[in-house]
Amino acid sequence: MTEASPESQERLKTAMLRLSKGDSDALEAVYRLTRVKLFGICLRILHDRKEAEDALQDVYISLWRNASRYDASRASPIAWLATFARNRAIDRLRVGKVRRGAVPVDEALALPDGDPAADEMLIDAERSARVHTCLDTLDDPQRGAIRTAFLDGATYAELAERDGVPLGTMKSWIRRGLARLRDCMERGE
Amino acid sequence: MSAEELDGPELTGDDRLAAEYAMGLLEGEELLATRGRMAREPQFAALVGTWEQQLMPLLDDIAGAEPSPEVWDRIAGELGQVAEQESPVIALQRRVAVWQRVAAGSAVAAVAAIAMLFVPAGQTPGPAPAPRNDAPPMVASIPIADTPLRVGLTYLPDRDELLVAADGLTADGVHDHELWLMPPGEGAAPQSLGLVAPGRQTRVTLDDDLARSMRDGAQILLSVEPIGGAPDKSAPGPVVAQGTLQTI
Repeated sequence: MTEASPESQERLKTAMLRLSKGDSDALEAVYRLTRVKLFGICLRILHDRKEAEDALQDVYISLWRNASRYDASRASPIAWLATFARNRAIDRLRVGKVRRGAVPVDEALALPDGDPAADEMLIDAERSARVHTCLDTLDDPQRGAIRTAFLDGATYAELAERDGVPLGTMKSWIRRGLARLRDCMERGE
Repeated sequence: MSAEELDGPELTGDDRLAAEYAMGLLEGEELLATRGRMAREPQFAALVGTWEQQLMPLLDDIAGAEPSPEVWDRIAGELGQVAEQESPVIALQRRVAVWQRVAAGSAVAAVAAIAMLFVPAGQTPGPAPAPRNDAPPMVASIPIADTPLRVGLTYLPDRDELLVAADGLTADGVHDHELWLMPPGEGAAPQSLGLVAPGRQTRVTLDDDLARSMRDGAQILLSVEPIGGAPDKSAPGPVVAQGTLQTI
């Protein structure tokens, strides 16, 4: 089980460095420390336990092959891994390995976000506060669409259908929302 | 609800592409084209990276979940298979790793280090030495994983000259890539062939010692190093690609 302690962050950093040097034993340590977080992300995007487990397997194998790309000076390891897992899960969704529609987007939205459990390793709290604060400044249809796109991997077409608006309108909402999000985050830096 | 009710400018151009790529909103042709730009254009990739870093804390909202215990067994199994398939590379990496350990504790190995920088194209590398023999040229092609890019090496034994083409590569600003010669035979030490100049074709004259090691079948490794190259010239960093020197 992972915990939000500096020790586990440090253990993860050490394991990632060993992995980036080609030490395949380090992969198990990284897996033990991060599987709960990364599986949660895969499950949220893919909505199917088996698909999400396949994706998780794919994530760690890719991680092993691409570990040399990890740059310790640029992002915290858990942040880098979470982004990596999300991108792999979305790739999987987009190439059609998963039949979309098994769970409609509306129903997927109803999945509880839940407070991150205390035993999970949290991503940088300061930046977390910033993007959340900025997202809260957006109008509702924009905020909802951006969250659903990012957290559920919804496409423009799916979002437009869900909200019953033309595709062009949805694109406009999101592009304006992202512009305001960027301005807000730049002001905060 | 209409678009008109929401004010403010839309993101446009590269800003829009980078944000939509980071969000995972791109599809089809646009996605493929943007992936290509990610590989070729460090500035654009940095724009995407900034978006990813800023958005990523949203992932905190996703509750964790425990996968079945079998998942690790499957990963470990696949890892074993991959290691078998890629045994030549893995074996080379092990040899390199041995040298990394040896070099770390050995001043003697450091004395044998060969440091050399490629002369950028456009500068005159000085008069070419007169041909000494008519040995045929050798080439090595080093594919860069997950991309259509490759680093091409051509070695001209009659002039002890090495031509390196790294046209498709781009610098990421935090790493350099370094080429290494791994002479055939157990126990041979890796020798630095210098840094790769991304996006350029370069020419360098090898010294006699290095030239003697440029033999058919020698392995060429590409490693990721801190800016400026490996601090210890007898110990490559992580090896990311490799090729074999072949007589043509």
